[in-house]
Amino acid sequence: MSLLKYESQVREPLVDGNKTYHQVTEDICGPVEAAPSRLWWIGFIISVALLLFGVVSIYKEVVYGTGMWNLNKTIGWGWDITNFVWWVGIGHAGTLISAILLLFRQGWRTGVNRAAEAMTIFAVMCAGQFPVWHMGRVWMAFFVFPYPNTRGPLWVNFNSPLLWDVFAISTYFTVSLLFWYSGLIPDLATLRDRAKKKWAKAFYGVTSFGWTGSTKHWQRHESLSLVLAGLSTPLVLSVHTIVSFDFATSVIPGWHTTIFPPYFVAGAIFSGFAMVQTLMLVTRKVMNLEDYITISHIENMNKVIVLTGSIVGCAYLTELFMAWYGASKYEYDIFFKYRIAGPYGWSYWLMMTCNVITPQLFWVKKLRRNIAFTFLMSVVVNIGMWFERFVIIVSSLYRDYLPSSWSVYYRPSIWEVGFYLGSFGLFFTCYFLFSKYFPVIAIAEIKHILKKSGESFKEAMDPLEEQSVDEFVHQAHAHH
Amino acid sequence: MSNKKYWQTFGELNNTNAYNEAAENEFREELPFEMNDNGAKTPRRDFLKYLGFSTAAATLAASCEIPVKKSIPFLNKPADIVPGVSNYYATTFVLDGDVVPVLAKVRDGRPIKIEGNESGFTKGATTQRVQASVLSLYDTARVRHPLEKSGDGFKEAPTYEAVDKKIAEALAAVGGKQIVLLSSTLNSPSVQAVIDEFKAKYPSFKQVTYDAVSYSGIIEANGLTYGTKGIPSYQFDQAKVIVSLGADFLGTWISPVEYAKQYAAGRKINEKNPEMSHHFQFESSFSMTGANADERYTHKPSELGAVLLNLYAKVGGSVTAPSIADKRLAEGIDKAAKELVAAGGNALVVCGSNDVNAQVIVNAINAQLGANGKTINFGAMVNYRKGVDTEMEQFVTDMSAGAVGAVLVYGANPVYTYRDSKKFADGFKKVALTVSFNETEDETSELCQYILPAHHYLESWGDAEAKTGYTSFLQPTIHPLFKTRAFATSLLKWSGSAVADYETYFKAYWTNKLGGTAAFDKALEDGVIEPAAPVVAGATFNSSAVAAAVGKLSQTATSTGHELVIYQKVSIGDGKMANNPWLQEMPDPITRACWDNYAMVSVKTAESLGFKADDAYEVEPKKPVLKITVGNQTVELPMMIIPGMNSNTIAIAVGYGRSEKVGLAAKGAGKNIYSFVGFNGQNYQYTVGNVKVEATAETFTVAVMQTHGQYGNRVEVVKETSINIFKKDPKVFINERLNELKDYGGLDNFEAEGTIYPVYDKPGIKWGMSIDLNTCNGCGACVVACSAENNVAVVGKNQVAKYHDMHWLRIDRYFSGDMENPDVVFQPMLCQHCDNAPCENVCPVAATNHSSEGLNQMTYNRCIGTRYCANNCPYKVRRFNWHDWNGADSFGDNQVPIVESGRLNEVTLQMNDELTRMVLNPDVTVRSRGVIEKCSFCVQRLQEAKLTAKKDSRPMVDSDIKTACQQACPTNAIVFGNVNDKESAIRKVRTEEGVNRTYYVLEQIHVLPNVSYMAKVRNTDRVVGNEEEGGHEISHEEKKEAEAAH
Repeated sequence: MSLLKYESQVREPLVDGNKTYHQVTEDICGPVEAAPSRLWWIGFIISVALLLFGVVSIYKEVVYGTGMWNLNKTIGWGWDITNFVWWVGIGHAGTLISAILLLFRQGWRTGVNRAAEAMTIFAVMCAGQFPVWHMGRVWMAFFVFPYPNTRGPLWVNFNSPLLWDVFAISTYFTVSLLFWYSGLIPDLATLRDRAKKKWAKAFYGVTSFGWTGSTKHWQRHESLSLVLAGLSTPLVLSVHTIVSFDFATSVIPGWHTTIFPPYFVAGAIFSGFAMVQTLMLVTRKVMNLEDYITISHIENMNKVIVLTGSIVGCAYLTELFMAWYGASKYEYDIFFKYRIAGPYGWSYWLMMTCNVITPQLFWVKKLRRNIAFTFLMSVVVNIGMWFERFVIIVSSLYRDYLPSSWSVYYRPSIWEVGFYLGSFGLFFTCYFLFSKYFPVIAIAEIKHILKKSGESFKEAMDPLEEQSVDEFVHQAHAHH
Repeated sequence: MSNKKYWQTFGELNNTNAYNEAAENEFREELPFEMNDNGAKTPRRDFLKYLGFSTAAATLAASCEIPVKKSIPFLNKPADIVPGVSNYYATTFVLDGDVVPVLAKVRDGRPIKIEGNESGFTKGATTQRVQASVLSLYDTARVRHPLEKSGDGFKEAPTYEAVDKKIAEALAAVGGKQIVLLSSTLNSPSVQAVIDEFKAKYPSFKQVTYDAVSYSGIIEANGLTYGTKGIPSYQFDQAKVIVSLGADFLGTWISPVEYAKQYAAGRKINEKNPEMSHHFQFESSFSMTGANADERYTHKPSELGAVLLNLYAKVGGSVTAPSIADKRLAEGIDKAAKELVAAGGNALVVCGSNDVNAQVIVNAINAQLGANGKTINFGAMVNYRKGVDTEMEQFVTDMSAGAVGAVLVYGANPVYTYRDSKKFADGFKKVALTVSFNETEDETSELCQYILPAHHYLESWGDAEAKTGYTSFLQPTIHPLFKTRAFATSLLKWSGSAVADYETYFKAYWTNKLGGTAAFDKALEDGVIEPAAPVVAGATFNSSAVAAAVGKLSQTATSTGHELVIYQKVSIGDGKMANNPWLQEMPDPITRACWDNYAMVSVKTAESLGFKADDAYEVEPKKPVLKITVGNQTVELPMMIIPGMNSNTIAIAVGYGRSEKVGLAAKGAGKNIYSFVGFNGQNYQYTVGNVKVEATAETFTVAVMQTHGQYGNRVEVVKETSINIFKKDPKVFINERLNELKDYGGLDNFEAEGTIYPVYDKPGIKWGMSIDLNTCNGCGACVVACSAENNVAVVGKNQVAKYHDMHWLRIDRYFSGDMENPDVVFQPMLCQHCDNAPCENVCPVAATNHSSEGLNQMTYNRCIGTRYCANNCPYKVRRFNWHDWNGADSFGDNQVPIVESGRLNEVTLQMNDELTRMVLNPDVTVRSRGVIEKCSFCVQRLQEAKLTAKKDSRPMVDSDIKTACQQACPTNAIVFGNVNDKESAIRKVRTEEGVNRTYYVLEQIHVLPNVSYMAKVRNTDRVVGNEEEGGHEISHEEKKEAEAAH
């Protein structure tokens, strides 16, 4: 057998509680098959309410104009694009977990990948709303698609980073959706096989695409997973790189900087993992999945957070250094006069605190393994990352080249805030539906690691571990 | 074949009848043709008939309801109207006493744009108010038919004849009481003749001229010292040294349209031999003129006498002047006096005060300098303002005493502008017959018994004698829109003249005078009659009044506490045109605020009141409210902190706080402070002492278009220096640019070497603009002209405060130097039409792109409104249509709800009225909501010019094209043309005339703008701009260090 079967006893088990295959199925399918809980209903209704508020906010903006927001002649993008970048960034953790960690054969990904991928899809859906609805004439949004048309020689402008965004985001969404769904098929088949109600049989029957679990199916499934992982991996890096090009290729001091692509990608993974933490900590508690999403999962993700947080911190300091060293007075002014100080100075320091200073506490193992603290930090990090985008967008625009154009103080209108809240509504509505009707943990993949990283397996290995090498070798030979 | 028979039934076998019958009718079916099927009332066939008929009927009826919009061509096409081609008529802008000869651009019967008449004495110059006046023609608040009082309001008078009859009766019944014509300054010779006829009929007739803002002090002083009650022509172009004591002669004082042009002549720099006039400004407030001065000194309003007397003493007047405590001010007076004397008569002192004593001293100084006949021309007395304050006071006294039987109000609006409105109104109510000829139901008209609205000037015949020998004519450019009637026609009717109306009278008057119809037609066509050679004459100064004036000025009581300056805003002036949305939305040159008046205070005064001009103050449109008390009068106004205001002096503009009936634009804008105007027994005083100023806890939103006023070390934006430095080193600006670009190809190869991308040839036409910061005085005529030409939307106060203004062209105002005595630079900023435009490559749908002629073009119907281009514009000149300003939206009727919710102001409804929309230029698309727009270099004019040249089969030349801003500019600061044409003015400016001062804003970022600026040079010994802060110098040092580091 392959070496993969063996895992050091030093590593903590990835599935606690001596699970059998059947128990795994029961644990994960149970909540799907049971009636929704009261808590689920409360959460769902709040989400739908938020979503409706978002719909009203967009309605106001579309019918009466972008002037319903408080953007202005100097600050053309504010909360809208801040939210866009924020949501896209959040999505990145899901892809990283599902694709890169798959390629790197990180077994711990199985506990969180399903939910993280779902989060990616929902986050990208939310993100997509902002560049669409922020348009002055959203009904003409289809102009951004390059397709043969009857509008004469008009064609899209391939020079525009905003057009690259269109391709980047749509590709990202498509690949993520395929990846997520192809992973779901075996589990949907499990649900289908267990289903007792007629509609459930029909629904899972259709959605599982006739999965029988044959070896050929499994083989193709594995191949597809690898192919999609291969496709997704560059996307983890490229999508946010392209988003960062929106800013990096411009002439605006504070935007025009080459550090943005890595800085944005690190930030995206940073905020994405924080969001995964937020969701997972709630999900494992509510759905009794503590055995599958263990403290060690949480610790692993906290390690990613402290790493990416530190990268982001380095990026912030590099920006400041370059602003000083670059001897461009416009850039110098933006960073040293109007970003770390000035009317929006508070947002810079909030960003610094949330993204750079507080995540350093995760160097302490005790805190990495503390659920309450992790939850708090995950929220703090996402606040910080939201402000990072706000700082980049607003504090660069509000005082650019000509002092005559420097802006009045920008604060969002109720409809701008409403749109943002609405995106939360969309996200959580989707997430609640997902957690109710789909297995939030990849059953098949958990089963895959159960025999090497499950607690029962590890316990069974204990006697072997205690053997001396000679004894083990002898025994192994004896088996042959 | 066998005969064996096969059968299926017994019937068939036996061949029964029943069988045969059944076989015959095998497929028969009972059809329900019975007429009484199942008792239904409407049988099936009838039902179908009814259905068919009613459907057809409904279809017909419905189709008849569709509104049909008819577009009917002329049955007989008028000879001189070609649809789509504009006609230009020479006429004259007349507002109160202001006279500006203009050309009205009439398109398909509608005047849509006003241009200056270049053959007139204003040489084609216009002002913001001239530019905006075409919008007032379509003012929705104009009175549309004769009104007579009915209860508290007015009712429509059936006909003018009926009203004439009633008024004639009332006039006859006046008896011995006075019949008073209360008007603003009238300068029409023919109307004066009509008035004289009227006077002949009614011996008790009296004419009182009342100007909202009085120049009585000058008029009377000239009476005292020269024996001529009036205002002479000033020749700023002849003056090498100009000293202005609070006179805003470029913005509001007497005739800025002429003075701006003259002044610019002295400010234009010949680079080979740089000489400039030297302009000293002593003032308390901060005027636009002060902002243009080389040396500016501030003093308290009450110190004016002392300043004048000192100046008089220093130029050689025999007078003992009081000492001046402020050292800087005293030195300034010394310096000004020295320069004045040295100029040998080519000097001019003007003063904005309305105090006759002050003006007597000013006259004495000018006489002492020998300015008469050189810079002051008594050969052409101007007729812009004629009001004498004491006459008005006498009239009010008479009226209160009941001695006035009838008042005819024309042009004047004393209920609004008089210092004691209540006293006037009370007296007015005692008058038996009151008639107003004003165009709107203004504050005074509201109290009249009749309103017989006069025509707008664009609908009128007429004439105006701007100054002796200079007559300008008015001819109608459109049939009167409403049932209005010329003021003089009314007088003719009431005086029982044989002439039926003013038109006939006017034509006869001038045909007679000019000696024939041909001459008259010629005069109308030219629009002006002027003397062949200007008459320049001095006058003998009579010094007898000086001693008394000195005595009075020396006694001027020093006031305690704050002092108040009441001024006119460059945009709104005395408030007559307050309902003009273009003017309301035109930002003030100094404060950059619009839609309101406010209290201007200095940085120090603000600090003493507990406010700091910090970031928080700057970025918040909500400004603290001050409570200002003079005597028993109080007004609460927002505070604007303006560097360079004199400490303890506050300045407030008149012209605001109009009544609601004046119109939706004027409604709610600012507060009326005419009531604070003082009276010293002889003249109205626009400065007031003993003012109490208190801070309040309240705030008030002021619509400001520019929050930050200093350019700091950003010398790539604004370049300025003093004339000494420029003389010493004419290459100072060139070297600065070289320093910045030397590693990237220098000035010549920067385009190619500053980029990694290929460079394209630019053959054919390449449009370019040059703006001279030396001659631009910040007046804003171009801003309004741009709005008029390009259908730029008015967004209203709330939206301006949200920084949503739409101006394609703005005039940035930068302070530099110290906060107490800053220098000011005005910089017109518009789309720079960059050859390497950052806006173009970021648009995802290529809605903005570059033309082969160097224009950065905007394709509105391709724009989806991502605003990325606006973000990426380093000049921030792109404007987004945040709301449906123009009613051009895909969603109908979505203005009213947001007007009702207070998001938009009612002015949006005014601007979208069918009447107001007649002003729109049909050559320019009205932009819908959600798209970006910006300056197009008036592309519609460029196309027209190219076509004209093509039709004439000749190359296009400079004179074919003028952008709207260029044409409106009174100082010719803007030069525009084809840079590739070696003969073009723009080419000459950039390569010869202005080569040493030409620079491009933010040149170093390699966007390659097509608009160049000419650096500002000040005639001073001081270090100007931010050089003392190290702006220019240190930036070089930094560069060197940076280069060394690399």
